[in-house]
Amino acid sequence: MTGRRWYVPWLFLAPALAVAITFFIVPFGNTAVLSLTDASTLGGGHFTGLDNFRRLAHDDQFWLSLRNTALYLVIVVPLVVTLPLLVALLVQRRIAGIGFFRAVYYSPVVASMVVAGLIWSWLLSSDGMVNSLLRGLHVVTEPIPFLTDAHWLLAGAMAMTVWKGLGYYMVIYLAALANVPRSLLEAAEVDGAGAVRRFWHVTVPLLRPTMILVATLAAIACAKVFAEVYTLSGGSAGPGGEARTLVYTIRETGLGLGGEAGYASAMSLALFVATLGLSVLVTRLNSREEQA
Amino acid sequence: MPSFRGLRLVAAVAVVGSLTTACGLGGSSDETGGSSASGKGPLKGTVTFETLQLKPTFTKYVEGVIGDFEKKNPGVKVKWIDIPFQGAQEKLTADAGAGTLPDVVNLNPQFAQPLENKGLFVDMDSAAAKIKGDYVPGAWKAFTVPGRPGSYGIPWYLTSEVTMYNKGLFKKAGLDTAKPPTTFDDLLADGKALSEAGKGSFYGIHPALENRFITDLAKQGVPLLDADGKKWTFNTPEAAAYLAKLVKAYKGGVYPKDSLTQDHSKETEAYQAGNIGLFPSGPNFLTIIKQNAPKIAEATGVGPQITGPEGITNMSVMGLLVPKASKNQRAALAFASYMANSKNQLAFSKIVTVLPSVSKALENPYFTAEGDGSVDAQARRISAEQIAKAQSLVPVQYDDRVKQAVLAKIQLALQGKLGPKKALDEAVAAADAVTAH
Repeated sequence: MTGRRWYVPWLFLAPALAVAITFFIVPFGNTAVLSLTDASTLGGGHFTGLDNFRRLAHDDQFWLSLRNTALYLVIVVPLVVTLPLLVALLVQRRIAGIGFFRAVYYSPVVASMVVAGLIWSWLLSSDGMVNSLLRGLHVVTEPIPFLTDAHWLLAGAMAMTVWKGLGYYMVIYLAALANVPRSLLEAAEVDGAGAVRRFWHVTVPLLRPTMILVATLAAIACAKVFAEVYTLSGGSAGPGGEARTLVYTIRETGLGLGGEAGYASAMSLALFVATLGLSVLVTRLNSREEQA
Repeated sequence: MPSFRGLRLVAAVAVVGSLTTACGLGGSSDETGGSSASGKGPLKGTVTFETLQLKPTFTKYVEGVIGDFEKKNPGVKVKWIDIPFQGAQEKLTADAGAGTLPDVVNLNPQFAQPLENKGLFVDMDSAAAKIKGDYVPGAWKAFTVPGRPGSYGIPWYLTSEVTMYNKGLFKKAGLDTAKPPTTFDDLLADGKALSEAGKGSFYGIHPALENRFITDLAKQGVPLLDADGKKWTFNTPEAAAYLAKLVKAYKGGVYPKDSLTQDHSKETEAYQAGNIGLFPSGPNFLTIIKQNAPKIAEATGVGPQITGPEGITNMSVMGLLVPKASKNQRAALAFASYMANSKNQLAFSKIVTVLPSVSKALENPYFTAEGDGSVDAQARRISAEQIAKAQSLVPVQYDDRVKQAVLAKIQLALQGKLGPKKALDEAVAAADAVTAH
């Protein structure tokens, strides 16, 4: 190793570093600077100190976005942690034709979000399949306003997120399940543990790190949710924009001619801090549990 | 794939229509385009020309005009770029920020205004003073910025809304197929009759708030903006009374349930699918309906624009703008005035039901006679008649962000979550906040 020159490792690092600096670090720095100005999307702007952040504190739309995003997180994350695990348990078995089912569950992952959004908006429209079915079965008399009521719209978007992520997280769980030693399960079986107890006391503890990973990934994805709400509502975030999420509001504020780049940057920083805080929280909780 | 092309066109023209609804025969005295720009000697260099979603439907026409211009000005090469409406704002913003706007840009006043406000475009009042008198004054005025002297675009084409209606559905609802509605009250009454007859299988009207709400207020004499162009003023008792009628219509099932947040392209789709009976929109949509839904086109009748008691009519304008940063400004100005000259606009108006922005071209018998008596000819005559007294009613400050802030409150009013007056007050406050920033 003594013959190596000091810069050799940097040469290997250079491409990845260049990408990171160009596309992440510099834009992030730029966003941080912009957040302290009143710049528009067409440039210009003056230093305004913390004005943008003060404005955020009194911006109803921002708080509504934050509330909806938090709601999204609280409902979707537990579903995304549990449902794919159950599906993974189902398709883990080595039986004839199981590959077909794995592929079916995975297919939403590869579908384009815009196409998925269109399909879901057809399904959920007032004369769409879901409403026709519910009316046909006499569950409801009037169509459910899936696309014109903020709560239903958010619920539809959440269902879409879970549906879209099911296959992806299922694959992560399948990999983790394959690492659960058979000997442990067999030992538990010999000790008289049934399937449920084996799952609960052997599989789940061993899967805990994976579940934490899935929860973290899902929480970050939920904090950034946009496409589901946007495509389902045809870009409106529902009547009055009441189903808006943080990223939706950032986009609405900061894009297009005359958009407020400075204010949108301040919102982006708020989102960044929230996401970072969330990741740290999950990691802390995990390490505390491990120590305990 | 006619339907796919049609859909793209619908999407394009829906937005373009809502913004411009007008086509002009840029009837200029300068048929070569060369003399209107300052400077001497033959023109040379490359001119980039950016349009909003005219491909593929109008490719042949635009390329034809470009070819003619290049023949007359052998030193000039025109590079045509057509961008889809979706994302156009983002692209323009990025180009403007980077200083790489094309030499000639096709924009409507609402799109152009934020850029005009930054002083990015050549003032046509002086740069194209020679041809200014050729254009319909209202159209030329559309590219002025409140509080700033000059006018920043050459009007290209104009549209003036007509009322299209499905005679088949009119019959089913027991309405007179020869008598389309002409006032807002008639429109709502006919819409109600149609929706009641449809019992959920078809409806009377689509609210298309995004396209019509603010224009409809202006047509009824509601003042939208104060003289300084800074404060919105449409929260009047008259506006509240009109909104109350829309609320009643939505509650009464006159509009399809999901239509509340849908835009003009969805309205167009619904009309083409035979799901709604009335379709107040630019006459250029007749071409699209014919392409996508020939049977609906056959059943379509056409009437004049829906107006308020004072008979105020609206027109939409599309223009051609030249950025000051253009490296080839002289050739760009020449090309823009050539594209929008009388001859070329007249030819364009014969392909699609739009109107020329050149006064002389509008006098052409093509626009004044019923011609073959077809629906297109009727629409052409009606909209040409309207253009004479029409104005571009929507202020340029009503950009996408203001629109979104306003419509959010109006949608809540239609759902009954806000009273009409409160919704308008909140809409004005929200619009003021956007305009102030």
